[in-house]
Amino acid sequence: MKAMTFSRPASREDWPLGVECAWPAAVHAAPARAVARSKMRRWQLWLAAAAFAFSFWQLGQGAYIQAKAWLAQLLIKQAWARTLEGEQHARPWPWADTWPVARLVVPGREIERYVLAGANGRTIAFGPGHVFGTPLPGETGNSVIGAHRDTHFAFLRELQPGEEIVVESAPALRWRLMPAEQALRRNQKSASVTRRYRVAGAEIVDKSETRVLAQRLGESRLTMITCYPFDALRAGGPLRYVVTAKAI
Amino acid sequence: MNTLTAVISGRRKLMLVELVAKVVLAFAIGLATSIALAGIVLLLAHDAQAAELVPMKPKEVQQGTLLLKSEGATLAVPAVATEAEIRVSGIVARAVVRQTYRNPYDTWFEGLYVFPLPENAAVDHLRMKVGDRIIEGDIQERQAARAQYEQAKSSGRRAALVEQERPNIFTTSVANIPPRGEIVVEIEYQQTLRYDSGSFSLRFPMVVGPRYIPGAPAEGQGAGTGWAQNTDQVPDAARITPPVLDPAKHAPTNPVRLKVVLDAGVPLARVDSPYHAIVQRETEGGGRVIELAEGSVPANQDFELTWTPAASHAPQAALFTEQLGDKRYALLMVMPPAKEVAAARLPREVVFVIDTSGSMSGSSIAQAREALELAIARLSERDSFNVIEFNSYAKALYDDARPATAANRDNAVRWVRRLQAQGGTEMALALNLALNGRENPGRVRQVIFLTDGAVGNEDGLFKLIKDKLGDSRLFTVGIGSAPNSHFMGKAAQTGRGTFTYIGRIEEVKEKMGQLFAKIESPVLKGVDIAWSGSVEAWPKRMPDLYLGEPIVVSAALDKAEGEIKLSGLRGDTPWHATLPLASARTGKGMGVLWAREKIASLIDSQRDGAKEEAVRDAVVEVALAHHLVSKYTSLVAVDKTPVRPKADELQSGAIPTNLPEGWEYGKVFGELPQGATDSLWNLLAGFLTLLLAIGLYVTARRQPLAPRRA
Repeated sequence: MKAMTFSRPASREDWPLGVECAWPAAVHAAPARAVARSKMRRWQLWLAAAAFAFSFWQLGQGAYIQAKAWLAQLLIKQAWARTLEGEQHARPWPWADTWPVARLVVPGREIERYVLAGANGRTIAFGPGHVFGTPLPGETGNSVIGAHRDTHFAFLRELQPGEEIVVESAPALRWRLMPAEQALRRNQKSASVTRRYRVAGAEIVDKSETRVLAQRLGESRLTMITCYPFDALRAGGPLRYVVTAKAI
Repeated sequence: MNTLTAVISGRRKLMLVELVAKVVLAFAIGLATSIALAGIVLLLAHDAQAAELVPMKPKEVQQGTLLLKSEGATLAVPAVATEAEIRVSGIVARAVVRQTYRNPYDTWFEGLYVFPLPENAAVDHLRMKVGDRIIEGDIQERQAARAQYEQAKSSGRRAALVEQERPNIFTTSVANIPPRGEIVVEIEYQQTLRYDSGSFSLRFPMVVGPRYIPGAPAEGQGAGTGWAQNTDQVPDAARITPPVLDPAKHAPTNPVRLKVVLDAGVPLARVDSPYHAIVQRETEGGGRVIELAEGSVPANQDFELTWTPAASHAPQAALFTEQLGDKRYALLMVMPPAKEVAAARLPREVVFVIDTSGSMSGSSIAQAREALELAIARLSERDSFNVIEFNSYAKALYDDARPATAANRDNAVRWVRRLQAQGGTEMALALNLALNGRENPGRVRQVIFLTDGAVGNEDGLFKLIKDKLGDSRLFTVGIGSAPNSHFMGKAAQTGRGTFTYIGRIEEVKEKMGQLFAKIESPVLKGVDIAWSGSVEAWPKRMPDLYLGEPIVVSAALDKAEGEIKLSGLRGDTPWHATLPLASARTGKGMGVLWAREKIASLIDSQRDGAKEEAVRDAVVEVALAHHLVSKYTSLVAVDKTPVRPKADELQSGAIPTNLPEGWEYGKVFGELPQGATDSLWNLLAGFLTLLLAIGLYVTARRQPLAPRRA
């Protein structure tokens, strides 16, 4: 499509140029060379068109990933507001197969992220994902969250030990975990529950080191995982950057 | 000439400006388009997803623990090799399982091995072999047996202990295996075979698949050696989760040799082993000996052997008795006639539940999807249906059951095809969604539950099924290479349905076909068995029997006289049969089978509200009398003389198991999220090709185009 847009005006304008260049001497002097050159030129134009197309595809792809990550968080923000009002699984868009489970804030860095349920590739394109089978962020235990190093968790690289992270969790989501307190909590509708964590440190591990997902009796922590190295061009490397924050 | 160059250079400048403008414009358009596209794609990305997220009931949901201890470094532990010899006679089998514990190290070792047995195995013998000596095991109450074992262990004597964790999970502990030495432990059990739709089947499970442990960490019932911590829902989690070797890093372990001596008592039409290659030879007595073709196989997949009696020899009734003391124990199997009864077919409401947890990943989910597609295709327009998938959360396709129109069925099949297996196994959520506890007059409500049953909270789930069943019926389909047979059988029994197994994708059609035939045919209801004289028969109340299922009952009689009168109702047609007790043949092990059945019924009675202490006392009494391992009794064998010098240390090791065949390690034990996109790469590649394109375009513009020939 784009190839046509570029070759058409070029060739249209070339006609007068072609006439001007059709100097008797030039035509007679080296007709074969001219034909060969023009053939090559046409090839070059096609190649340029193809390269343009490819570059726009790639730029579009790159921009799309970033745009999606940014745009989705806006929609999830609204879903989170509904969650705080008591909705159990507030879907950010009608056909979403995930829903927000927490809001993660780094007060010192003006970072705000809405965490989604599930940490598979489909989910973390839209926001940090809570790994199934670990306690919800804000709960007792080791809550594990994963996100992309080049979108939502790009800030992990800057995070220093001692920095504070605040997790806001929804009463609606907490009710299901604490039936005994259900009645009590119902009175404080829309009041969110926050829990503060302090960054303890970061480590680089191989993706097979599932020990970082482990639970320890009576200990609450937040484990944030992203890919490593941060500047790698391609996705899919074996290393993970793991930031641990302990509840305070 | 001058004018010409001026014209050309002027043109060139103009062209350059034009070119730059065009490129910038194009880039801007491209970027805007891509962002707009991003928005659109975002909006359309999952449009086909008709899934409704059904809100969960607050109280049932608990975040479970997927894993607690990751696989440690290769532990120094003794190795175990298993040999099983199973003798089948008629409708019962007796097996000897010989576990050889070998210590390849220079220190003294204790070995702990968690292994499966059939869910109805009556374990009644333990023998410890040291060299030529054989030490017989004693039956004791669980605590007493453990105390005796611990005492022997610390005093340096050899000892072996067999404990039951679940009806189908046992633990052998072997103390003081000498350096570079070995101890052989022999366990014997008896079981009733499954006879269904004209075929007998024998299942010998080989590995306890990793179980999902729901609930919050809690102290539970003390320490175990498993990878899981005890939780409030699974207080013995650490005892049922043996370490698992990642097949990507370790060679298969725990070799098993198997020999089945098959004396069916009737001519056989066929003998099959669907999951293992076998070799068989005839014996002089008309029986057969079946062995594994490969000699030994790693313990990572259930062994199944099925045999079908020749058409005219299909058993109609079998009655075996055994005299023990003043009691005569009987095992009765009667095949009610499978007459076609034309019953008015009520419209059905079918709820399919599919397990999409991490343990189903790999070949299991493929089998489950295939089975589900087949089942959906079989629905008629009069029926209604719904589909529920569950892992860490449960999710229904529709808010409520919808008519099985072609469009709805297609939609459901598309939804099912996209299901991925990941996350935990919060089975309670799915059961809560599927079972509404209501009565459904005018229609038949059936729940078909496809799962590998890899959970540790079976008892809680059975209770849930019982409480919320209403007049629905629950049918379990055990998927994969190592399904939890205890869950499949007991969930179906509690749900007043029946169960089947699918272990390979090739079996889906046949097994699901059998299941459909059962759920579409009228059941045999109100089965009553009247014995003459005083009798204690188990189970107390016969369940409804589906097409092709026999009546199986164990009884303790004072005298073997008179007749057994059986009756029931299939559809609207009454059925009667009479069997003289004198026709009974003498068998062996009818007593333990009766005791095993009684124990199972006693344990079940706890769900009906019986007090645990009362059940415990009753179980202990019957188990001690019949030398049976149970939840409350264990077998222990202790050598007399100490062998380990006081100065030598004793190390202890939990023997790791294989991951069941076809499972994916990372999906079961969790994997770290993949946290990177290709966006940087895309932008860079896009930018570089853009430069290239501009370069090409500019150089191309510099060259003249030849006039076209007419």
